[in-house]
Amino acid sequence: MTADTTATPGPRTLTRQRRRASAARFWKQYRTHRAGVVGLAALVLCVLVALTAPLTVGADVRSVTDAPGGPLESPSARFPLGTDQFGRSLLGLVIWGSRVSLLVGLLAAVLSVAIGTLIGITAGHFRGWYATVMMRITDWFLVMPTLVLAIALATVMSRSLGTIVVAIGVTTWPTTARLVRAQTLAVESRPYIERAKALGGGHWHVMSRHVLPNVMPLVLAQTTLIISTAILTEATLAFLGLGDPTGVSWGGLLQDAREAGAVSSGDWWYLVPPGIAIAVVALAFTLCGRAVESVLNPRLGVSR
Amino acid sequence: MTAEATPALVEGAAADPGTPGPAAGRGPRARTAAAYLRYVAGKLAGAAVSLLAVLVTSFFLFRLIPGDPVKFMTGGRPVSAEQLAAYRREFGLDLPLWRQFAHYCGKALTGDLGTSYQFRTPVIDKITEALPNTLLLTGTAFVLYTALGIVLGTRSAWRHGRLGDRLNTGLALTLYSVPSFWLGLLLIIVLSVGVGPVPGLFPTGGMESGGKEGFAYAVDVAHHLVLPVVTLVAVEYGQTLLVTRSALLDEMGGDYLTTARAKGLRDDQVRRRHAVPNALLPTVTLVFVNLGRTVAGVILVETVFSWPGLGGLFYQGLSVPDLPLVQGLFFFFASAVIVMNTLADLLYPLLDPRVGR
Amino acid sequence: MNTHDLHGRGRTGPRLGRTRLLATAGAAALVLTAGLASPLVPAAPRAHAAEGTQAGKDGKDGKDGKDGKVLTVAVAQSVDSLSPFLAVRLLSTSIHRLTYEYLTNYDPKDAHVVPGLATKWEPSPDKLTWTYTIRSDSKWSDGQQATAEDAAWTFNKMMTDQGAATANGSFVNNFEKVTAPSPTQLVIRLKKPQATMTALDVPIVPKHVWEKVDDFSEFNNDKSFPVVGNGPFVLTAYKPDSYVRLKANKDFWRGAPKFDELVFRYYKDQDAAVAALRKGEVSFVAGSPALTPAQAASLKGEKDIRVNEGPGRRFYALATNPGAQARNGKKFGDGHPSLLDERVRHALFMAVDRKTIVDKVFQGHAVEGQGYIPPRYPTYFWEPSGNRRLAYDPAKAAELLDRAGYRANADGKRVGKDGKPLNYRVLCHATDPNDKAVGKYLQEWWGGLGIGVTLDCLDNVTDPWLAGKYDLAFDGWSVNPDPDFVLSIHTCAALPATPKDTGATDNFICDKTYDELYAKQLAEYDPAERANLVKQMESRLYDLGYMNVMAYPNAVEAYRTDQIESITTMPAEAGNIYGQDGYWSWWSAVPADSDDSSGGSASTGVVIGIVAGVVVLAGLAGLFAMRRRATAEDRE
Repeated sequence: MTADTTATPGPRTLTRQRRRASAARFWKQYRTHRAGVVGLAALVLCVLVALTAPLTVGADVRSVTDAPGGPLESPSARFPLGTDQFGRSLLGLVIWGSRVSLLVGLLAAVLSVAIGTLIGITAGHFRGWYATVMMRITDWFLVMPTLVLAIALATVMSRSLGTIVVAIGVTTWPTTARLVRAQTLAVESRPYIERAKALGGGHWHVMSRHVLPNVMPLVLAQTTLIISTAILTEATLAFLGLGDPTGVSWGGLLQDAREAGAVSSGDWWYLVPPGIAIAVVALAFTLCGRAVESVLNPRLGVSR
Repeated sequence: MTAEATPALVEGAAADPGTPGPAAGRGPRARTAAAYLRYVAGKLAGAAVSLLAVLVTSFFLFRLIPGDPVKFMTGGRPVSAEQLAAYRREFGLDLPLWRQFAHYCGKALTGDLGTSYQFRTPVIDKITEALPNTLLLTGTAFVLYTALGIVLGTRSAWRHGRLGDRLNTGLALTLYSVPSFWLGLLLIIVLSVGVGPVPGLFPTGGMESGGKEGFAYAVDVAHHLVLPVVTLVAVEYGQTLLVTRSALLDEMGGDYLTTARAKGLRDDQVRRRHAVPNALLPTVTLVFVNLGRTVAGVILVETVFSWPGLGGLFYQGLSVPDLPLVQGLFFFFASAVIVMNTLADLLYPLLDPRVGR
Repeated sequence: MNTHDLHGRGRTGPRLGRTRLLATAGAAALVLTAGLASPLVPAAPRAHAAEGTQAGKDGKDGKDGKDGKVLTVAVAQSVDSLSPFLAVRLLSTSIHRLTYEYLTNYDPKDAHVVPGLATKWEPSPDKLTWTYTIRSDSKWSDGQQATAEDAAWTFNKMMTDQGAATANGSFVNNFEKVTAPSPTQLVIRLKKPQATMTALDVPIVPKHVWEKVDDFSEFNNDKSFPVVGNGPFVLTAYKPDSYVRLKANKDFWRGAPKFDELVFRYYKDQDAAVAALRKGEVSFVAGSPALTPAQAASLKGEKDIRVNEGPGRRFYALATNPGAQARNGKKFGDGHPSLLDERVRHALFMAVDRKTIVDKVFQGHAVEGQGYIPPRYPTYFWEPSGNRRLAYDPAKAAELLDRAGYRANADGKRVGKDGKPLNYRVLCHATDPNDKAVGKYLQEWWGGLGIGVTLDCLDNVTDPWLAGKYDLAFDGWSVNPDPDFVLSIHTCAALPATPKDTGATDNFICDKTYDELYAKQLAEYDPAERANLVKQMESRLYDLGYMNVMAYPNAVEAYRTDQIESITTMPAEAGNIYGQDGYWSWWSAVPADSDDSSGGSASTGVVIGIVAGVVVLAGLAGLFAMRRRATAEDRE
């Protein structure tokens, strides 16, 4: 059996090999984008920090009753970034906050891209009235002012992480949908799709086996870019007081800082680090997204 | 903040056969007036449908806010059930939802967006009161960041891959990733309050000191305008820059540029006369989209700088919730985007030199 | 952000001078100032036209106002309405205090009642008729005499017109008839005795102006300026969310204010307001509701700035839902049943460390909570004594809960009668940082007892509150010198008639003993005896355990001593300035004659304007030069 497969590789193995090869090719090209590599490194670092937070700073960092310092202490050897108004270590809070910010960014982007891909592929595949309706809906969402709609949604629902994720996800999907639909149309016009259909491939087969793998690169690039937007939007909503009041996130820290009056009191250590953290992560995702895009975009592939 | 507007437009244009996108536009010059009119009619119809959709959304979205608006309105003061019912009648809230919606639509068509619960003034008055302020802020910022984006984008593309380009793009991307409200707060700390030797040069917020007239008033407002505009420009110009840059890079591969060069035109002339006008097309689209979008996106900056505009009004309306006010503003914001998008669509074929000349 | 990073053949053009960029920016800047200043013009003159007419009418006065001393106060709250019949927000009602006289006022020293528009007042022996003598030296700002007729008309309007009763209708509920037998005599006939007749905080408006109003529910009094009034200031201009301007009333009967003009300027952001104070853009900042501890600390060291801290008028409490009900006995809402047990309420009470809240959340800018009425009003202040005090004692709280039958399960969570772990929803105001901060502590304190806490933070808590859909809620009221109102909101009579009505009740408390005491104090015209009854009510409220008064937040505000030399606080000894019971602070403020720092900031503005102008011109010149060079190059 094993020998058999090695001798004449089955279609699956072939596919796998082809995918592995293209992944390797992708990585080789990606490496040539210096900005993309820097962004990726920054991201890996941030994710590591977020994942190891329970070990490095511990969940106790959020406790107000056991806060170790005095209110709004400036940076010192004990508290490298000073303390907040409850006397909690800000370094610890910024590290802990990365978990929420990254999680929200990731979940919101995944939700957004999932909706966008689903609608994009189906609208591209089924055509007809279904596509018309779907694209009408997409256009409709496209003209909605994103931030206004997100604020409205966050107000309508209760204040929690889930609300923020949904508010961002629901407002940012239309671009993905349009991009994916365009790509789907392009893919489906290729002869092999015709062949697959002639061989009895159903809708599901065509969409999942042929269209999806082909739009995946686009979706990947889109996800990275949307994460960046999502993190910024999360910070914005939290800053406007629409976030989870008891959670710790970067946007929430900025809102806390403002409510504590840190801006006019010159307590820069409360204000600067969360903002920089947001900017760095958003920038890192943008850099990665751009790099992925320029590697994968077929149009650009030709001109290279 | 809404970074995704660009790809949608560029790609969307390409995907929609009705729009002569950059890729589709190399057709014969025989685009007749009739064809254009048909195109215009199609776009206008689309816009009308979108406006209607927005009207529906603005009405129903905010009805989802749990609770009884009349109880919000009376603010917890003791009110009898009869009085509450009277209020409901007065604001038309006793009618079934669909009739309320019909009323709302009917009135909206005549420009009446209802009466604000908290200010007891017609919503349209509230909007026209705050609109000039928002327009002043966004308009100024818009002109500046568009100009800055196009100029820097052109330069960047022309000197593609060099240090200057990389610094340029890097700075634009970085500023683009910075939360605008945070940048605004930092600017207030540094330039308004003053840090160390830096004196506080600009006012901390608001639009005017009051009590000034004529030229002094204009100077005063301009003075208040500086920081919010700088904030908006800093976070927004990056997008224009990047789109201009990439469009120009796209364009620079074009054969006709080689031809132009072969004709003996100088590099600078090739750029100014051929490449840039063509490359500006996606930027023009973006410019219009931005114009509509900025009006809505200004909420944060208005909040941070206490600018008395639409953004602040919207936020105030949401916390009550002042249904007519938020509905009206939402409708207004979305309409601004639709109108501007439609304008962009209509102008596109007129501006495209490959079609026009 | 879909930027195609095309690595095409980049051609290098000639170096563009920096000037070009600058020029473009400069040109754009010019376009904006020239072109975009215009849309603003239609809005601007509206407000200024008002000022213009004012200046024109008053001739010299208007001019003086410009060069005169201006007191600028930073505010954040939007005006809901400038009509005294509609306004309920603090800023609007404060403006009405400044522009209209009320019948009585409160002494700044100890808040006892002093004459306002009325000079004298007297109840009849049957306690049902009150006769007020109206002063004859108060004139409306349009020159007409203010009379008892104006007062009678104001009250009658509120009694007969639903729209006019919107804001202050509760004051006239118990009125039977109001008449003005002579210009100096006002007679109010009551249905029942009412001890609060010297605390009618209702702005008296000029009849000859207001009788022209058709619909009181829609008239906002913001269209024609100056607004006719008889207070220490006259309202001269208003631009929503920009400013409210008031001019000193030189003919005010108590004496003209020392400042010529009072301006409320908007800073929606409290940090911006504090920064503006630092720079001298404003003379006074109160914060809403107070400056934060960090702001107060940083302002304390500043030159020419005085941080003023006084006892606040508010209490800050945690209210418990006692099972919402209507007067007709119908229960509604979904308050947690375990809270109906007094032992549970006391346990929760004892698991709140009020001292930590004062120390950590308010950072010392508050007084630890005791009874219902803040110590600012010593006449009515009451505190629990000895063993009745529910002091912080988590161990005892746990014991109480055990005794009440709410024992911890294997996970350490206390379980309710329904077998589910106890988890209380705490309603909090999203706009109040203190609610969120205290909420974090509650989560940990009550979590230690094995009780879960979910913070339900909303911008507007009215709806779940009125519907009784909460377990506990952050609560707070500003207490007036006469405590009747804050006491009345816990009586059974304040409950809504049916679940469909809205009652005056705070959180649905209904207790017979309390109600009897309330009725007694309302009919008691002897101040000492009434105070005694009020204290008994507070004691009863405390024992019930429905209202846990955690703190009395201080008023923390700051002003520039180089702009304001002195200002009356209330109470006179270490009191507050903004939101007083009366117009004392702004009326009494004395301008500092040292220098004019507002002029300083104005000249900075001019300098900047000039610099900007020069830059624009330089830019234009540069652009022109570039153009010429470019065309020259093209030609070659």
